[in-house]
Amino acid sequence: MSTRWYPIYQKGNPQLRVFLPNFWMKLVRPYEKQQPNIVHFHCSMEMTKYDIKNYLEKIYNVPVVDVRTKIALGKFKKEIVKGYITKDEDVKVAYVTLPKTHKFEFPNIFEEKKSSEDDAKALEETKKTFKKFLEKNKDRTDVPSWFSI
Amino acid sequence: MQLLKVHRTFPKLKQLITRRYAQALQREQDEYTDQPIYPPILDMTSKGKKKRERERTRENIKNINTVEEKQIALNMPRYYGWECVMLTEDSVPYNAMPMVQHYTRTHFKPVDSLPDVYQDSSSMADTVVQEIKSAIEDCIVIENEGIQRKITTVLNKNAEAQRENAQARNIVKQINRIITNNLSDKVSHILSSQVDYDPRHEAFWFVGGVDIPPKVFFGRRKKGWPKEAALEPVNRPVQYLGIPLLTLRNHLPLKPVIPYSECENPEFKVAQFSTLPKSVGYSADFRHGTNIPGFWPGDFDEFGLISYHGRGHMLARPESFGTEDNLEALHCQAMKTSFGWLLAQANYQGFTTYNDLTYPLVTQTVITNGNLISFYVYQLNTISMHNDDLDNPKHNICMGTKPMNLYDTIENGKVKGLNDDVLKMLVQFYLNAPEEREHDMKPYLGKEEQFVADIEDDNKRSWLESTYKHLMSNRPKHKLLPETYLWERIYKIEHNTRFFEAKRRPFELGTNPFIRRLDDHLPPYIPKALRPYPRCRKKFETTYYPKV
Repeated sequence: MSTRWYPIYQKGNPQLRVFLPNFWMKLVRPYEKQQPNIVHFHCSMEMTKYDIKNYLEKIYNVPVVDVRTKIALGKFKKEIVKGYITKDEDVKVAYVTLPKTHKFEFPNIFEEKKSSEDDAKALEETKKTFKKFLEKNKDRTDVPSWFSI
Repeated sequence: MQLLKVHRTFPKLKQLITRRYAQALQREQDEYTDQPIYPPILDMTSKGKKKRERERTRENIKNINTVEEKQIALNMPRYYGWECVMLTEDSVPYNAMPMVQHYTRTHFKPVDSLPDVYQDSSSMADTVVQEIKSAIEDCIVIENEGIQRKITTVLNKNAEAQRENAQARNIVKQINRIITNNLSDKVSHILSSQVDYDPRHEAFWFVGGVDIPPKVFFGRRKKGWPKEAALEPVNRPVQYLGIPLLTLRNHLPLKPVIPYSECENPEFKVAQFSTLPKSVGYSADFRHGTNIPGFWPGDFDEFGLISYHGRGHMLARPESFGTEDNLEALHCQAMKTSFGWLLAQANYQGFTTYNDLTYPLVTQTVITNGNLISFYVYQLNTISMHNDDLDNPKHNICMGTKPMNLYDTIENGKVKGLNDDVLKMLVQFYLNAPEEREHDMKPYLGKEEQFVADIEDDNKRSWLESTYKHLMSNRPKHKLLPETYLWERIYKIEHNTRFFEAKRRPFELGTNPFIRRLDDHLPPYIPKALRPYPRCRKKFETTYYPKV
């Protein structure tokens, strides 16, 4: 059940009907090199180690051996216009250890970069255009480049 | 020199006098050789220079005469101590084997019986077991049912684990008493051995071939190092801490289990574990590196025979770790404790983590809770595993059994099913006699001065002694440690909102107070009244820090 504060019931449609749970876990890419059986999560601040273990075991059937948690300090940022310092929210980070036989690799979520062939083609195109430009202005070295029809 | 004593300006005057009758030095006849001789070509890149600097440090530590000075020398680069990875005897995280093996450079070999060197004592052990069997049964019954001891527990550790260790300690004391009493007139080395209860075992070393901590990487990048240079590996200081239940030590070392040349066997190679220890659950702490094998330098009995360790921490492990990992945890404990004790002993022989052992050392480790017993034999072949010595072919070897039951149950004040084989193994550990070695045991110590106590100069001796003991105590500093407050981090470092203020703090001056050298302090002031008469200009007391 949720402890979120939902808007007071008002007559008419549309109605807010989706009740979101308090507990959520977000898989994150580890900052440093890790052992293959260790997975990093961000989770909601209320979750304890036991909650994290149950969450993964009961909902996703992931065998969990050990859970370590820490609360990471949010980043400090400068407000661009007024210049005062603001702070992001803290996050609870969970380091989940799977059995040593298990391996987890963080998936590549975003599509790969354009192939180098395309890059080379684009570069060739640019070079050609620049050469054309030089050719055009060969006889008028003292004239600025923007001075043309 | 005479003139100098008259007035101190004379040397300066001497420089002013022109040397009218001086002439050029005559050339020596044998200046030329048949073959041209050149000085060695040195690598003058910054990397090469740094490497030579490190080599010089290692050589300097090797040339120091006494054990205590060597230990101070290891701690010289850090005033506030090294940020050590803490390996403790009684905390083994999940899947600890790969890391412990790499950090102690140990090949582990599971065995069912003791290695071949114990075969000779087999028949004698059988007779001893028959003699002591009833006494052992009695002591087990009395310790388990006959006595109600008051065991005080501390809050920061698992209470059940502490209770089990206390129980094991009492039983081990009794078993040790029974076996030593029986053997003291049969074999000579038992009578001459010393028994320590709850000694202090600490060991300090550097591990190479591991990832650099992100703090180091980002610190270097901030200083403007290029990325490749910033990734240059650093040695990770490691500190082992442990308290055995009971140890036995002798003035002679045990015989090697396998020949020393065998330790270069590529079969013993251990896999590299470069991941940060923090990521698998180890913590780091600022402290001076200490090497203490349960006694101070200069003790006569400086080689270990047997150490008993409790296994109470197994009760504190979560069930989810599984039995297989629990077994590995025991092996890890054995490797850590054996390596730690032997390394500390090796340090008292004049070797350090920078100057490798020249002969093997052996110890026997027993891990028990009063009933379950596992036996380990550990041979230390190398203690050098820093970054400049990564291709060191030598490895340490640990052989160990599974935990075995000493007895089945206790019923009606009687021990049921006492396991003779297990008791025999234990007796065989006691029967393994230490031997005089033919080689030099202390090649890196001085001939005359091996310990600080041998130093003639009273001031130097007492200064070194008190400094050594103070470092080894790891007492907290009298003054507060330097600290960057959070408000400074927010408003001065991350966001420069107070640019108009005077820059006085270390981070504003671009210095790191934690990279301060041990001797980087003002020596104690000598008040005028206490200075030697007449008119002594020496304001500060002499310090005797080793020059490394």
